[in-house]
Amino acid sequence: MNSFMLDDRKMLVTALAALLMVACSSAPRDPEAIGQLRRDLTELQSDPQLASKAPVAIADAEKAVVAAEKPQDDAEQEAQLIYIADRKVKIAHAQAEARKLEDQRTALGKERETARLDSRTEEADTAHQLARDLQQEIDDLNAKPTDRGLVVTLGDVLFDNASSTLKPGAQDKLSKLSAFLLKHQDRSIVIEGHTDSVGTENYNAALSQRRADSVASYLTGQGLTHERLTSSGKGEGFPVVGNETAAGRQQNRRVEVIIVGAMTRAQ
Amino acid sequence: MKTILSHSSITQMPSGLRPVSLLLLLSLTGLAACSSPPPDQELQAAELSITNAEKARVADYASPELGEARNKLAAAKAAVNEGDMDDAKRLAEQARVNADLATAKAAAAKAAVVNTEMQDSTETLKTEMDRNQGGTL
Repeated sequence: MNSFMLDDRKMLVTALAALLMVACSSAPRDPEAIGQLRRDLTELQSDPQLASKAPVAIADAEKAVVAAEKPQDDAEQEAQLIYIADRKVKIAHAQAEARKLEDQRTALGKERETARLDSRTEEADTAHQLARDLQQEIDDLNAKPTDRGLVVTLGDVLFDNASSTLKPGAQDKLSKLSAFLLKHQDRSIVIEGHTDSVGTENYNAALSQRRADSVASYLTGQGLTHERLTSSGKGEGFPVVGNETAAGRQQNRRVEVIIVGAMTRAQ
Repeated sequence: MKTILSHSSITQMPSGLRPVSLLLLLSLTGLAACSSPPPDQELQAAELSITNAEKARVADYASPELGEARNKLAAAKAAVNEGDMDDAKRLAEQARVNADLATAKAAAAKAAVVNTEMQDSTETLKTEMDRNQGGTL
């Protein structure tokens, strides 16, 4: 009985051992896959931009890789540990990457805010600069703001006595005006000729009209379109000062250019 | 062999056959290494990870990993039905890490999209500014 039991036992043990061998048979390890895992993890751990971003996930991955590196008797278990470790390394990598990107956002936000501010500042600067430029041009023209618009008064330096032909030097005086008008195409002008009270009223009216026309034709010669220009002779009816003195009469002999138009900001 | 391996045979065993019952216990212990109760914990963990991934709208960004997670979970459940608990446990664990990977990848992808949008809007502002500078002054 006893010997039978022993034989039976031996047989059973052998059978069981065989069963276990089949169920959990050992296969050659996969050193390549394990080596690759370790390399991937080391790469992540030594990346200065990522290593500190996901400490928990990286520690988790490290644990999984260490487990996969331990020799296993069971091939399936070994494959499983490699599989899990591979995903954990990838999870750690993705988490670190996400965290890095989130951290960069602060800097990106600042950058965008700076750009927005710069853009606004520049916009304001541009507007100010335009206003300054316009004011400078108006100042250069010696134009005075009035109810009718900007008035440029050209003294009697443009014409010889009783003449409506522009003097050679007159063109210098008018060139600034024509440059301004060519630049600001949205503006039109009214040219008014005025005389002193010397001579008949009709003569003065005609002379002032001819002088206004002379200025107008000079300006059209510079490229201004006729539609923008209106010229009229006001004669002696609109003196700026009394005609009693020579100095007063000189002031009254003049051509006034009234600039009207859309751009009123600098007025 | 069949009868002594069956569960009920232990209880029916007369006390006189102690060496045999010892062997049976040994053999059962050996079998326990390769078969066990359903891996409920692993299955639940896998389902939770998949739910989390779905909540994070992972499908838009990391659908291969999420699909893999769902397939593995389905395979794990099938293995439970077939009584292969070791396989079920492994598959559930695989499902879980795939779902977690899907979530992590989706977070990184979303972060990248946001950053790119921020960079683009900054670039637009800068380009506009350059054009303005070239144009009016």
